[in-house]
Amino acid sequence: MIVSDLLDLRAETTDGETVGWTVDARLVLDGPLDGPLARPRLVGLVVSPHTRTSFLGFERAQVPAPWLIARPLRRLHRGTFLVRWEDIARLPLPAERRDPDRRSAVVLRAGYGRHDPRL
Amino acid sequence: MNRLLGVALGILTAIGGFLDAGDLVTNAVVGSRFGLSLAWVVGLGIVGICVFAHMSGKVAAVSGRATFEVIRERLGPRAAGLNLVASLAVTVLTLIAEVGGIALALQLASSVDHRLWVPVAALAVWLVLWRVKFKVMENVTGLLGLTLIGFAVAVFLLGPDWGELAAGLAPSVPANESTTTYWYYAVALFGAAMTPYEVFFFSSGGVEEKWTVRDLATSRLNVLIGFPLGGFLSVAIAACAAIVLLPRGIAVDSMAQLVLPVAQAGGMLLVAVVIVGIAAATFGAALETALSTGYTLAQYLGWSWGKFRRPAHAARFHLSMIVALVVAVAVLATNVDPVAVTEYSVVFSAVALPLTYLPILVVANDPEYMGEHTNGRALNAVGSVYLVVLTVVALAAVPLMIVTRAGS
Repeated sequence: MIVSDLLDLRAETTDGETVGWTVDARLVLDGPLDGPLARPRLVGLVVSPHTRTSFLGFERAQVPAPWLIARPLRRLHRGTFLVRWEDIARLPLPAERRDPDRRSAVVLRAGYGRHDPRL
Repeated sequence: MNRLLGVALGILTAIGGFLDAGDLVTNAVVGSRFGLSLAWVVGLGIVGICVFAHMSGKVAAVSGRATFEVIRERLGPRAAGLNLVASLAVTVLTLIAEVGGIALALQLASSVDHRLWVPVAALAVWLVLWRVKFKVMENVTGLLGLTLIGFAVAVFLLGPDWGELAAGLAPSVPANESTTTYWYYAVALFGAAMTPYEVFFFSSGGVEEKWTVRDLATSRLNVLIGFPLGGFLSVAIAACAAIVLLPRGIAVDSMAQLVLPVAQAGGMLLVAVVIVGIAAATFGAALETALSTGYTLAQYLGWSWGKFRRPAHAARFHLSMIVALVVAVAVLATNVDPVAVTEYSVVFSAVALPLTYLPILVVANDPEYMGEHTNGRALNAVGSVYLVVLTVVALAAVPLMIVTRAGS
């Protein structure tokens, strides 16, 4: 699996309700040493409720500038949240991802937590 | 002298932007048709490229990352890929024009047909890319390019009516030109001042010179001296044409006519000086665009890059530059007019710019990258104004080119 397999997917609850799109993957470097750095571990996915476009990194910190870009992007991505990897029930199979109707989705466990996407 | 050499990167970058083969002719065309009524666009472009290069130089110095690495990281593979295609189109088209431009400059000096000079020019560019150290390369071409100051000297020697010349600076459309043509040339001049490859080259050059936070002052000095100087010289070329060619109704369509006002003002000696400048400027611009081709491809695809590495350790980076030069020679072998090639490239440049500018503006504000060196309020205000200007220019560029048939 590569990280592209996790991005730009619809996210839905077990009831089939769409809650947004995966716009980013969040990794931490806390694994065993692998070369100069610790091996990365996937913490979860960033889900944006209203759009599948890029957040240009504004989800990571509370940066208000430049206003002209930050303001509309924040509005477009309002309600963005981080879902922990443990709260993900099912990922689409590669064959489902190729489905032209894009019905494939990441299914979130019942009672999943919505976490702050900021670092 | 060390101070002067410290700003060689800025001077060379600006030469590639303002005074490359296409721009040399465009400036003279504009001067002979519109006088100085479009000089305000150059001013707008100088401020814009200063803001843009300042931010990208700052990001390179503080985070050690060149512009296209930042673009790829923030825009993702698809939008950055679109930007890569548009930017490469501008850069390679300009490279074609530069190799042709060197050949034309050598024809001016030697009377040997420029088509014979093309392979020689390309080979010389490649040898410098392959063998010569970055620092030596920028110092020699930057300093020799300064002989283009001969155009400014020519303006003084021509002894124009300064009051009349200054009055011509006011933006106005000449009676025998249409408004759309005026705006087409405004976009072309703006696109020439703010090209994406200048910023790729400048920021990657900062990485080549191993800039750190301590070199922020060097970066700023490069920006504040290099680009205004380049802009000033491009206005001087337009002024020469406006003083000598405009009143006689001579329209410029080749590089040879560029030196007519200089010959009238200073005779053969000044012409010789200016030809050295033209050869150095086109050669410098060829190096800048060839390197930018390698920088953008390598930074997008994650290859190792840089002249500070031995060619064997940055093989794909060097190979992509060789391919670009071969393409340039092949295109010029079709007998295409090198100068005509750049008329279209500046328009692509205007289209590619917003996608290049936006990620830099965002990252220059990101404290994770920049620590305490994030943009201040004033820089962000000017930076945001230019984001709007660039977007408007990008949207207007292609329709204007079609309506005016590239200004003809």
